[in-house]
Amino acid sequence: MIPSRHMARHSQTEAIQQAIEVQELAPPSSGLLSSLRHWRHWRHWRQRALIPYLFLLPFLLLFSFFILVPLLYALWTSFFIERLIGGTTFVGLQNYQEVLHDGNFWEGVRNVLLLLFTQVPLMLGLALGLALLLDSQIVRFKTIFRLGYFLPYAIPSVIGALLWGYLYSAHIGPFAQLAELLHWPPPPFLTAAGLLPSIANILTWQWTGYNMVILYAALQAIPPELYDAARVDGASGWEIARHIKIPLIAPAIVLTVVFSIIGTLQLFNEPQIMTAIVPNLIQDHYTPNLYAYNLAFTNQQYNYAAAVSFVLGAVVFVFSYVFMLVTYRRGQR
Amino acid sequence: MNRGLLFCRARGMAKAGLLLLLALSISSYLVACGGTPASSGPVTLTFWSWVPNLQQAIDLFEKSHPNIKIKWQNVGSGGTEYTKLTTALKAGSGAPDVVQIEYAYLPQYILSGKLVDLSQYGANDVKDQFVAWTWAQVSSGGKVYAIPQDTGPMGLLYREDIFKKYNLPVPTTWDQYAQEAIQLHQANPKIFITDFSASDGPWFFSLLWQAGSQPFVVNGTTIKIHLDDAAALKVANYWGNLVKSGAVSTAADWNNDWYAALQNGTLATWITAAWAPSDLEGFAPKSAGLWRVAPLPQWSAGEQASANWGGSTDAVTTQCQHPAEAAEFVKWLNTNPESVKILTQKLYLFPSQKSALQDPSFDTANSFYGGQQVNRIFVESAQQVNTSFQWSPFQDYVFSQLQNQLAEAVNGKISFEQAMHNTQNAVVTYARSQGFTVIS
Amino acid sequence: MARIGSLPAGGSVAATRQISARTVGRRSGWTLRGLVLLFLVLMLVYFVIPLFWLVVSATKTNDELFSTFGLWFAPDFHLLENLHDVFTYDNGIFVTWLTNSAYYAVVSALGASLIATLAGYTFAKLSFPGRELVFAIILGSIMVPNTALAIPTYLLLSKVGLVNTPLAIILPSLVTPFGVYLMRVYAEQALPDDLLDAARVDGASEWRIFWSIALRLLAPGFVTVLLLTFVGTWNNFFLPLVVTNNPAYYPLTVGLANWNQLSQAFSGSRILYTLVITGSLISVIPLMIGFLFLQRYWQGGLTFGSLRS
Repeated sequence: MIPSRHMARHSQTEAIQQAIEVQELAPPSSGLLSSLRHWRHWRHWRQRALIPYLFLLPFLLLFSFFILVPLLYALWTSFFIERLIGGTTFVGLQNYQEVLHDGNFWEGVRNVLLLLFTQVPLMLGLALGLALLLDSQIVRFKTIFRLGYFLPYAIPSVIGALLWGYLYSAHIGPFAQLAELLHWPPPPFLTAAGLLPSIANILTWQWTGYNMVILYAALQAIPPELYDAARVDGASGWEIARHIKIPLIAPAIVLTVVFSIIGTLQLFNEPQIMTAIVPNLIQDHYTPNLYAYNLAFTNQQYNYAAAVSFVLGAVVFVFSYVFMLVTYRRGQR
Repeated sequence: MNRGLLFCRARGMAKAGLLLLLALSISSYLVACGGTPASSGPVTLTFWSWVPNLQQAIDLFEKSHPNIKIKWQNVGSGGTEYTKLTTALKAGSGAPDVVQIEYAYLPQYILSGKLVDLSQYGANDVKDQFVAWTWAQVSSGGKVYAIPQDTGPMGLLYREDIFKKYNLPVPTTWDQYAQEAIQLHQANPKIFITDFSASDGPWFFSLLWQAGSQPFVVNGTTIKIHLDDAAALKVANYWGNLVKSGAVSTAADWNNDWYAALQNGTLATWITAAWAPSDLEGFAPKSAGLWRVAPLPQWSAGEQASANWGGSTDAVTTQCQHPAEAAEFVKWLNTNPESVKILTQKLYLFPSQKSALQDPSFDTANSFYGGQQVNRIFVESAQQVNTSFQWSPFQDYVFSQLQNQLAEAVNGKISFEQAMHNTQNAVVTYARSQGFTVIS
Repeated sequence: MARIGSLPAGGSVAATRQISARTVGRRSGWTLRGLVLLFLVLMLVYFVIPLFWLVVSATKTNDELFSTFGLWFAPDFHLLENLHDVFTYDNGIFVTWLTNSAYYAVVSALGASLIATLAGYTFAKLSFPGRELVFAIILGSIMVPNTALAIPTYLLLSKVGLVNTPLAIILPSLVTPFGVYLMRVYAEQALPDDLLDAARVDGASEWRIFWSIALRLLAPGFVTVLLLTFVGTWNNFFLPLVVTNNPAYYPLTVGLANWNQLSQAFSGSRILYTLVITGSLISVIPLMIGFLFLQRYWQGGLTFGSLRS
């Protein structure tokens, strides 16, 4: 076990150095080399040319059947309207035009953007802070902390619903019970004003540990020699973190941000959970994804729901793309 | 050395994994195929229903019908089941043979043509055994799309101890109910006369039903929509004022907080239906002996108007290969005296069958309600339900719009009257976009 | 971990202190350390408290659940009775759900990680026309929300007669675009080209190169995808809810949600509430154990996903 870990560490180290120093240099293409080598063996070469496709076959078959075809089918249906009376008619881009003017859809987008710009920085900041602390040399019992922080990721959202429904309860929840003991009013978790923070809290609870583990793993991959010099120069732990560690794990930070952008804009599970707890506060269009779901399953407007999903997909793409573009530009400077 | 070891292990692991994968896939395929019934021998019918402990009645049926086997599955109650049912019906396979559907949701499945007309299997023969309004809701022009299973005529559950303590008579009109709501809340700010849940569309509809509102008149593909008629606005404004006064709470119902409020005396009444008394015994066991039942308050003194909330029917889907046997099962389940006795007295469903309502053994005293003959009030209520009330063929959509709007109203963003107007507009637009001819 | 472990923590702190003795005194070092520890412990409490509630609640009767303080044990310990109820209710259907969950998760995780490893390796180490386009399509599919797939997937599965079978849950779970991405990045970094070329010169077939050389070096990435898919399938609710209608094929998540719904709606089923809680606790345990034992692998693998871009 240990040798393999060392080996992984070394290749990680190399990879990091590559990533930092020679980002623009692409590694030589091995496929080309090998095919040159077998240039004369025509039959052999042809056989080799087929191999990549054969290797990809299992994945591509399943991918086509369970993602590509359903997606294309959904795209196709989004150009139609199916009426309860009178059947299906082709309407071109009409559904998309409606989505763009649909106040419910944009209200949902506003909610998820609000979360994106408040909860995500908070969560990732916390994740980064915890990862740096666990990576620093002043903490012991790291395994316990790391596992404890990561645990919520392993809880299915159905069970998460049960947990938070109880903890947030204004009658039987422990926080309400404590407040009553102190003659305070129950904490306003499940009120119109407290709802978004309550959802943000569930998200933070569930995903901080996951992001922390990604960042922590990246920190662990940094070769320790890199700090030794700084330490000899008298740099404090904070300075090492600020000037060495964070720049080195920037790619990992970018990754967590991109995931969070996608996850937040497609938010579904947590508001769905909260619907079960406070149906009178969460409307059917609280997030765009929840809206698409309710359009399809409650209103039976499958075609319109598909259009909503694709517009949401476009929004996700724009945000992830803009973010990556911005960080890439910065990296270039 | 170490490398070699790891190498072997990785390869062995992967190989074993692949074999396991293969074996499991094959076995699961075999399992999937094993379930198909043979062409000869007894007929097997799948039956979706969320009534707990239904197996007792099914066992009885299988005993008397040896060539029909019933595979009862609980796939979730209400909306969870409908989502599955709608998807399976749309796909053309995967739907059950027999399915439990609430009255309010029946028209949307009838409209889509996915329910078997049971009149060809003699369903009209049992028509006279059922309470009139229930039959009106499962049939149309001689065609029968489901057999009524149970109902929910409405009444008022109230805490006798609280009304006694604050010297309040049990309200008989809605005006009186509103006055006492305010008196009660002033006397003790911790007590609310009831809870107004904006997220319970079916409940709000039953209040409209009692007030004589006629939101839908459906005639084939022509539909008259009037969700903001005078009666509906009267109900909306009434609850709008009560909510504004703060004398009723506005939490969602059917969750732990709400159960706690029913048990600990925070809520003094529950405007509810005939299936509720036995449920309440389960939700609020510690309040045993404190509750009583009264008829629903009236809009004008001396009236006797009631409504229905909940209750289900059993229908046969067009995916069923053996509709005659399925029809026989739904008829038997809801008319056979022994079966009806199980449904009403062991499973606590409130009957849709006239005979069961008259059955003396149904009229028993209940100690949870201080020895009151609870069912008697609801049997009377069942006679007073307005029989001409109709549901829309897209009731799911109507409920979700109404709930959206009522939530806005409860949160003070719009008036309750505005909520009804908004719902009306949204539903009219939806109906038109779905190809209905909407008249006013 | 090994790196930190090999350096005695005290020693390194002493070294730091020696160097910057002017600014960091002995006492402030301890205070800082204490504050950090306090913060970490508080965070631990935050992350673990909901689970603690679950553990505590699993030891209570239905009555005590609603009448005693939620974050501490009730006087009588009811865990064994609850466990007994969970495993025997409705002819022990919970055992069926538990087996189903394990079966779906194990098969999906093994299959998905093998398929993703093969695909990731191909994208990383073999060149072929259309490589970047295919890869972009695979990654782009992550952008469109899953809810858009639900109904089309159901219709497709229904066309081929797979609805209501275990395969309806397993087959879609075998597709992990993220797993392919992870394995591509991992393979690009963990597999030296020279090694593969040397094998090619020796006349090894591409399959043999993958199976005998690449797979071994990709083991940490493989385990990472394995765990992510295992958790994903074990916790999946939406897919099995849509594609199975038969309680005998339910996984734990759908089964527990079904119990929960029953417990909320019918008086006679109120007792189910304790069963839902105890069942939930049981369903979380296998994942905790898995993480504990495999953590050294998956943490190594996770790094690689982040080194690209």
